[in-house]
Amino acid sequence: MKPDKGKTVSTAKPQLQFAKAAPAAQAVRRRAGAWLKELRGRAGLSQIQLADRLGLKYYTFVSQVENGFGRVPTESMEAWARALGVEPSSFARRLLSYYDPELHRLLFEVKK
Amino acid sequence: MTVIAFQSKLPQRDGPWRSGELEAIVESLAPEHGGGEAGGWDVGVTELGDPQFYLLGPPPHAECILCISRLGRIYVLEDGAGRVLLEHNSLLVLAEQARSLLRKKKTQIAARAALIWCALRESFEEKLEAIMGEGEELLAHFAPQLAALA
Repeated sequence: MKPDKGKTVSTAKPQLQFAKAAPAAQAVRRRAGAWLKELRGRAGLSQIQLADRLGLKYYTFVSQVENGFGRVPTESMEAWARALGVEPSSFARRLLSYYDPELHRLLFEVKK
Repeated sequence: MTVIAFQSKLPQRDGPWRSGELEAIVESLAPEHGGGEAGGWDVGVTELGDPQFYLLGPPPHAECILCISRLGRIYVLEDGAGRVLLEHNSLLVLAEQARSLLRKKKTQIAARAALIWCALRESFEEKLEAIMGEGEELLAHFAPQLAALA
C-alpha cells in the first residue's frame, strides 16, 4: 500500500469546451462525503481498506463518494455501515438526510 | 563503488492531471454534452493523490455519471455507482469508451421518448375515434327525427 499523501489539486486547467459544474449543486453531497470520511477515520480505515471490505476492485469509488460527487447506492448502504462499524438503519437515515432531505423530513420530522 | 540512478524510460504518471490529459478527456466528451446527458465536470483526488475526473449529470442533482481515475499506469472508468466499466493504459481508449457509453445512453433516452410519443398518439387516436364514432351514431339516430321536424 502506498503511504498517505496530502490532497493535491492540479493548478493547470486547460481551455475546455464545456464548463465545470456549479459548486452549489454538490454542497449537500460534500457534507455527506465529509461525514463518511469522518466515520472511516474513526474506524481507522484507509480508502483502500474500506474498498476492500466492500469488495470493490478499486478504491476510487470511495474517493468519488467522499469527495461529494457520488452517493452510496441504496443496495450497498448496509455493507458500508457494517464496514464502517455503525448501525445500518441510523447510517441509512443520516445518508437520506443528505441525499433526499425532503423525504427525510416527511419520514422522520413531520409530526402526525 | 558508484551507483548511478537510471531514470525509467517509461513515463511516470503519478501526480495530478496534466493539462494534456484533461484536454483529451474533455474534448472527447464535449460533443456528447450537447445532448444534455452531461451537465459539467470536475476533478478531485483520492487520499493517495491519484487524480479523478468526474463527468456530472444535468442540474439540479449534478451527480457523477462517469468517473475516470488514474492509478499508476492504468486508467479506470467507473459509473456513478462504482461499477468498473473499463481499465486501460490508454486514456484515449478510455475516453472513447466513455463517449460511446454516453451516446448509447442518449440513444436509449431518444428511443424511450419515441415509444412514449407513439403510445400517447395511439391512445389519443383511439379516444378520438371513439368520440367521432359516437358523434356519427348520434347523428344517424337524430337525423331522421330532425328531418321529420323540418
